[in-house]
Amino acid sequence: MAAIEQEKTDLVEVLSSELDASITLKKERRMWVEIDSKKIVDVCLKALQLGFEHLSTISAVDWLEEGRFELVYHLWSYKYRTSLNIKTKIDRNKPSISSINSIWDTYAETCERECHELFGINFEGNSNLTPLFLEDWQGPPPFLKDFNWREYTLKEHYKEENPREQVYFEVKK
Amino acid sequence: MRKPSLFLNQIICTASDYMITKKKVMRKFVRAVWVFNWFNSCGFTELCPVVGSRWDMERFGMKAVNSPRKADALFIAGYQTPKSIKRAQQIYEQMPNPKFVFALGACTLTGGMYWDSYNTIKRLEDYLPVFMYIPGCPPRPEAIYDAVFKVLEHVEELPDK
Repeated sequence: MAAIEQEKTDLVEVLSSELDASITLKKERRMWVEIDSKKIVDVCLKALQLGFEHLSTISAVDWLEEGRFELVYHLWSYKYRTSLNIKTKIDRNKPSISSINSIWDTYAETCERECHELFGINFEGNSNLTPLFLEDWQGPPPFLKDFNWREYTLKEHYKEENPREQVYFEVKK
Repeated sequence: MRKPSLFLNQIICTASDYMITKKKVMRKFVRAVWVFNWFNSCGFTELCPVVGSRWDMERFGMKAVNSPRKADALFIAGYQTPKSIKRAQQIYEQMPNPKFVFALGACTLTGGMYWDSYNTIKRLEDYLPVFMYIPGCPPRPEAIYDAVFKVLEHVEELPDK
């Protein structure tokens, strides 16, 4: 037990010195690191070299009041059996970040496609940002906090004149 | 002098007449509907009992086939998205005539509990010629059998071509 604890503190030290950022040990086997968005490719490459070879997913969080998107890169290490979440924040009005497809290739590309179509984030260097789930989609990115999906659906798909569909308009918006 | 062209015509004519009569007779023996399933999400899991031993659907001549080119009926269940309905249309186009589309369940008919989603189909009839609507969430197996019996009745009434 003591050996595992020792190994973990060693890992935190190594990571914080290598990645040049402060590491938070949230839970057992779960670490957070917050970095600047410009360093994302370097940090991911360093993490890969340190043994975090598996990219689970890329998720985005919309902080509406703050006016920023938070991108979370979930990495996993088979060697240390620990997950590392790399967090970075980007501007909400011009959401743009460099792509990590040079490191995790097509899988990162797919994750970035998803973020692009659901949040409208532009990944520089990713040549394939075609829609993944939403074919023929004309509206704004649907996962944004200020997108009123019910209002949009009522406007696009239903007609208030149609007696069969009036019931849908009685629902509170 | 014999006229081979006329002679051939007669043969073809009689052959087609014969085939039509044969069709009418054969149609009375139609007791099977081969089904191609296009099930999204919970539509599949809820209709699994129809295949299973309790409501064994092969008793009534229903058989799930693995290619739309063999199928007589297309079963659509679960909510449909603009992406999945395109694939359903492709499947429908590949099926030989006569072909029937069955819409199973509330989600397929009107969007169901996903009526206010931005990415579901609200009216299936805008995309495919639906032969029969089977409401329910999910529809009971008995309702599906009833629908299939109606198809078998309908086959006997089909016009001859």
